Formats: sequence, structure tokens, C-alpha cells
Amino acid sequence: MRKKSYKGRARAPWLRALALAFVLVGVGLTLYGWFLSTQIEKRFSGRRWSIPSRVFSDSALLYPGQPMGLSALREKLHRLGYREVSGEPRRKGDLRATPHALDLYLHDLVVPSRRREGFRVKILFDREGIRSIVRPVRNDPVPILEIEPEEVMLLFGAERERRELVSIDRVPAHLIHAVLAAEDSRFYRHKGLDLRGIIRALYADLRQGAFVQGGSTITQQLAKNYFLSPEKTFSRKVKELFLSLIVEAMYDKDDILEIYLNEIYLGQNGSVSVNGVGEASRFYFGRPVAELSVAEAAALAGLIRGPNAYSPFVDKERALKRRDSVLRTMRRNGWISQEALRSSLASPLKTVGPKPYARNAPYFVDYLTSQLETLYPREALSSLGLSIYTTLDVEVQKAAEKALARGLARLERSNPSLVRSEPERKLQGAVVVMHPKTGYILAMVGGRNHAVSQFNRITQARRQPGSAFKPFVYLCALDRFTPASLLPNKPKSYEIEGKVWQPRNDEPMTEGPLRMREALARSVNLVAVDLAMQTGLDRVVKTAEAFGFSTPLHPYPSLSLGASEVIPLELARAYCAFAADGVLPYPLSLKEVVDEQGRTLERKHMSIQRVTSPEKAFIMSSMLRSVVTEGTGKSLAKYGITFPVAAKTGTTNGFKDAWFVGYTPDILALVWVGFDDGTPIQASGSKAALPIWADLLNAIPQYVSGGWLEMPPNVVKETVCSLSGKRAVNGCPNPIEEVFLRESVPTEYCRLHQPTNSIQRFIEGIKGLFKGS
Amino acid sequence: VREPERPQRNPGAVASLQLTEQGKMLLKKGEPDAAISILERAVNLNPSNGQNYYYLAEAWLFKGERDQADEFNRLAELYLGTQPDWAGRVREQKDRIRGSRRQ
Repeated sequence: MRKKSYKGRARAPWLRALALAFVLVGVGLTLYGWFLSTQIEKRFSGRRWSIPSRVFSDSALLYPGQPMGLSALREKLHRLGYREVSGEPRRKGDLRATPHALDLYLHDLVVPSRRREGFRVKILFDREGIRSIVRPVRNDPVPILEIEPEEVMLLFGAERERRELVSIDRVPAHLIHAVLAAEDSRFYRHKGLDLRGIIRALYADLRQGAFVQGGSTITQQLAKNYFLSPEKTFSRKVKELFLSLIVEAMYDKDDILEIYLNEIYLGQNGSVSVNGVGEASRFYFGRPVAELSVAEAAALAGLIRGPNAYSPFVDKERALKRRDSVLRTMRRNGWISQEALRSSLASPLKTVGPKPYARNAPYFVDYLTSQLETLYPREALSSLGLSIYTTLDVEVQKAAEKALARGLARLERSNPSLVRSEPERKLQGAVVVMHPKTGYILAMVGGRNHAVSQFNRITQARRQPGSAFKPFVYLCALDRFTPASLLPNKPKSYEIEGKVWQPRNDEPMTEGPLRMREALARSVNLVAVDLAMQTGLDRVVKTAEAFGFSTPLHPYPSLSLGASEVIPLELARAYCAFAADGVLPYPLSLKEVVDEQGRTLERKHMSIQRVTSPEKAFIMSSMLRSVVTEGTGKSLAKYGITFPVAAKTGTTNGFKDAWFVGYTPDILALVWVGFDDGTPIQASGSKAALPIWADLLNAIPQYVSGGWLEMPPNVVKETVCSLSGKRAVNGCPNPIEEVFLRESVPTEYCRLHQPTNSIQRFIEGIKGLFKGS
Repeated sequence: VREPERPQRNPGAVASLQLTEQGKMLLKKGEPDAAISILERAVNLNPSNGQNYYYLAEAWLFKGERDQADEFNRLAELYLGTQPDWAGRVREQKDRIRGSRRQ
């Protein structure tokens, strides 16, 4: 009894210690489990990934008769991820090209407030451009076809990860099975750990004498990717096991799989990592996951084990072997039929890329981002996966970039003294292209090389516009003068703040009066200054300010020659009003911001404001057309520009800046050339900037309708004597037709060429009576 | 100075009319923002199609933005004012815009 009690007493502390240890371990594990579960909850319940926002161009509109060539459209479709096929296009994104037609199966169109299912369409071309667009099945004509916007750029955060989120409901069963076959066949049967899988992996590793098979379940992989550092230690493995068990306890299998499918790393595109099956599906096969074939799904799943080792872009043979292995596992598990296995094994491994992620129109995107940052914090832009739709036209942007690069190189070739070895000191240029009526910015090139200089010379530079400012002086003068008015072209001195200023013409010319139209066409300085002085400098400033210039315009006589600095975008916008019936548009780059769920967060529309009458705007355009037909822009014809254009050249003192602003009713483009530090470029606007403008317009025939502005009802035509500017009479040697504001039509007849006999005078008098009525 | 002749065919004008119709339908459905987006594209394709300005004025009026409605009505008047079947509608629209200002 004593012995027993002794034994009992001896065992009790040991048992108590053990029990206490168990309790302590239990409590510790519970607390640790609770700690991990809060970590998991925190990580999974909030925003799981940072998704870069995507900037899109505007969608493209195609229609019969549009002067767009087959090769240009084919190139665009390639950029949009269409794949060339030899047979009939059967799947969305298939494209078959023949010498005169493009037969394609359109992608789905998803743009704000519109969604259209992809369908098959055939676009036939002739020498002029698009001849017809039809739906091949019933030969139904398509009068207008919208092609999806192009991705222009991604707004990344620090992670530089790209991921397109997919919901498990939209992932096809064969992709899920392929992933399970590749990584964790028993996923739906285990509770986070798979002992059978571990033993099988160990056996395989021992047999091969190397690490050939991992035993981690999908849940373990997820735990590892989400919560743990990559080093392989025992403690990390234990933590991984704990996390897996807790994740399985907290979430159902489909949730875990969905997170996994969106999380996994599946390759690298330059400095950007490709994550998740949604993104990888587009990166490797150019289609959404829902459209992946069984073979493609198997190839994608096969990548998980080693995205770079099994990448079809790195080693196609290896990728093919891995795909086939996944396919066989799928068959072994009964997930695909024998027939599906056979056909999938026989199908080639066709990919679309690799295509580097777009980084287009960097100056445009910078400008856009600066506007977006007034609406959203920078961090939100790089993490919320917003879709940002813009007015950018990728074709116009590419044409503008190319024209500028070629034009600057041409200038350097023609004048080697302009060449600079230091990239940041090189000759610079900038281009902006707009729709004059709506203010849509179609293209923006803010400099020669964005990598060297991010200074946007379209939106941030302040440069003297030179003669490109003169139209605002002439517009103001239309209250007193007409295009036929004779204006003095004589040297004069002006006193400004006690100093004498004597303007000169750029080129020597005979003194004597010039018609207003002629003076603007030839950009005569003496006339412009005199006109400004006669009109009143304050009035000129007021008129110009109404056109949206935000920089100070000083009421000095030199203002008329463009001495006050302007921002190039504001100058382009101001010219829009001439092309747009006197209506000034807001320069629009952002159209819509849409969140991941497709909800519109922000929407911008064209916004207009009348700044002059349609009649005056038309007369200005008519006079600016003379710049091209008979003035400083005459050389446009030499570059193949034969359609009606209104334009103005600009050259500043000492040839520091060269400008060309030209427009049609459909499009307006401004070109600036110069050095950032103001070193003279030794060339005028017509020599340096005009050829770039011509090159650009020649490259975008789809924007050239060849039409001209409609004459407003209160503009009238009258024949006048070119020498007197008065109504022409029979004796006038050079009568010309001129346009006038209805209230400003000359009433007086030419006195220089009066009819010599009384009968002629009587006839002219009678004619005058009728015209006067 | 000779004002340029109008080109004999303008395929953009035909395409623009297609968009005008779409914009009109969206307006009927009570979707002014979608209608404006489409009509802006129609203007880009053919800036001298006055109908686009008329419907843009309608859309802005629908949204209660009278200043913009007024601007577009003036453009509609410029392009459609001489067309007998449109001139009356444009005038009536102007009256409605003025009327909505007084309210």
C-alpha cells in the first residue's frame, strides 16, 4: 500500500508536468493558430492583389470607303492579339489574310456602356482602301465596324506584376482539371495536406536520387506564396503546414482554388511578371481563359512547376513534353476522353508572342496621368486595376512619332551644325494632333526621346509662337478690315517704355500696300504690327485670351509678331476654333475610367465654348488657306498635300523656334522644332516644321476626307479689284473673288480702273444698283 | 480666292449617319452619356453633319446642362438652319432650352 502510494506520488508530478506541457503546447498552438488565422483573414478578406491600371486608346471605327490599307489594319490586328490562321477563322481572334481581304473572327468588344459579342467579318480592300465589310455567313453588309481599343500602357506600382483576375465560374473545367493534374490531383479529397502525395513524391525523389517531384498541395503552395519567404527551412515548412490546415478550415475548396489560379507566377515578360491564369492565357495564347482549348490549358498548367523552364518561348520541345505529360495525367484521372487526349496530343503548341507589354505614347500618358492624379492618388492608379479609356489614336500616334523622328534626323543631315552628341542637348521637336471640333487629342509627342527627357514640350514648354500668333491679330482686325483691305507695308518705329523698336520683315520685299489676305499668307511683319496698333493692343490681348491662352500676353507691339510665350497645346487648341466655327473645344485626353467591376467612375465629354462668330472663323480659315496656296506654306504641295488645308508657319527671332500649325475640317496638327536652350536652329517654320506636318498627314489618309469648311450663311462672296480692294469694275485688270462678312462687303467701286466712257460708267452704275439690293 | 469644291463622295459622312442613328436610339432609351459618346464620334467622322449637334444639344438638355445644350443648338442652327425640315425643329429646341433656363 505504501509502495503503491509511493509509486502514485512519484508518478503524479511527472504526469502533472506532462499534462501541463500538453496544456501549454495546446494553448500555444491554439494561440498560434488564432494568430495565423487572423493573418489569413486579414490578407484574404481585403484586397488580395495590386493590379496596375490599364490605359486604352480609343476604339477604331472602320467603314466602307475609308482610305485604310490592308497592311495597316493587319498590323493593328496583330497588336490586338489576333492570330493568323491558314484556314477559315473559327475562334475569336483568328485572322486569315489574303491579298485583298482580311477574314477575321472578332474578339468581344468591351468598352464603357457597350458590350458586343465577337463575330466573323470579312473586310475587302481595293486600291482606295476598304471596299466593303460583310458578315460572311449571310453576306450581310456592315456599315460601320468598331474594333476594340488598344492597350497603350500599364500604370505599375513597385511590384511590376501583371494579373488579369478571373472568377472560378469563368474558368473552364478543363483548365481546372489541367491544373489539378499538374499540381494536385487529389485537391478536392484532402484537407490541405496530402500524405499520399508526400509519400509518392518522396519515393520518386529517392528513386531518381534527386528532387524531381514536390509533394506540396495547392493549399500549401498558396500558403507558401502568400505568407512565407522563399528559403527552405524546417520551421518554414512547419508554418506552411499550419497555414494550409487553417486555410482549408476557413475557406472552401473553390475559394482556395480561385485565389491560387489568380496568384500563381506563370512567367516573365521583360521586367514584368505574369501572374495568374487569366493573364497567362492572354500572354501565351492571346485569348481569355474561357476560350482556351484542352491542349492550351494543359500547356498553361504545365508551366506552374517551372514557368521559365517550361515556357514555350524558351524551349518549345520541353514545353510540349510537359503539356503532353499533363494531358496524360488528365486522362488517367478520367477528366478527358481518349479522343480528346489523342487530338490534344496531336495539336501543335501555338503561341502568340512573346509580345512586349505596350509602352506607347509616353508623353500622352504622362499628360493623362497628371490629370488623373487630380482625381485619384497615384497609389490607387497603380493598384486598383482601373481601365482608363482615352481619345488616343494609336495609328496617328505612331505616324506622329515617326514623322517627328524622320524630320529631325533630316534637319540634322541637312545642317550638321545642329547635331549634338549629348542626348539631352539634341535638337528637339514636338507634335500634337487634335480633332478640331471635339477637342479629342489623337496623338501627342512631347519630345524626341522620352527615356532621355520626360519634359513634355507640348504641355509644359512655353515658347514664343512667332508668326503663328498673327491670326489672332488678324481676327481682331476683322471688325474694321476685310480680307480685301489694303494695308500699309512700310517700316515704322514704335516707342515702347522709352525705347524705340523698329520691326522688319523677314525677307526683303517691295514697300507698298498689300491686301490683308496676302499679308497674312506671306506673313508680313510690318503689316501685322501696324494692324495690331490700328486695332488696339488691348483688344488683341483680350481676343487672344478668349482663345484660352493661360500664359501672360503683354500688350506690346511685338505681341503681334508672337513675342509673348505660349504653351503649344494651348496654341493648337486656339487654332481649333478657326476650324470649328468659332467654337473652342476643351482638349480632351481622358474619356472614361472604369473599375474592375465595369462601373464607370469618371466620364469626360467634349466641352465647347464659342469664342468668335462662325463667319469670322470661316474668313480666318479662308485666309489661312492662302498661306498654303500662295504664301509661306506653299511648299506643302511639293510634299504631296493636295487637299484643302489652312495653316500658318511661325519662326521666332534668330530662328530659335520653328512652327507649323495646319488643319482641315477633320484634323489639326501642330509641329514645333527647336533646341530646349534656345540655340538657333537656322531654319524657318516652313523649312523645319512643315515637312514633318506633311509627312504625318500623308501617313494617315483615313483622316483626310478632302472636304472643306461650309460657308456660313452670313459670309458672302464678292468680286473685288486686287489692286484697290474695292468692288471690281470692267476695267480692273485682275479682279478676284473674296469672302466677306455680310456687313463688311465693300460698297464702293474701284476708282483706279474707272470705265473710260460714259456708256460703260452707266452700265456699271446699273450693275451696282442691282448688286446693292 | 476660290473656295474648294466639296468632294463627290464622303464615306465618312455615311458612317457618321450610322452613329447618329445609334446616338438617337440611346437618347430615346434615356442614356444621354452613352448617346453623347457616340455622337462625339459621329462629329469626328463628319463635322458638318448638323444632326449630330442637334442630338448633342438634346442630350445635354436631358442632363440639365443648358450652356452646352445652347452651344450645340447654335451649331445645329448653323448647319441645319437652311434645311426646311430641320429649321423648325432647331428653333423649337432653342425655345425649349430658353424655357428650361427660365424655370
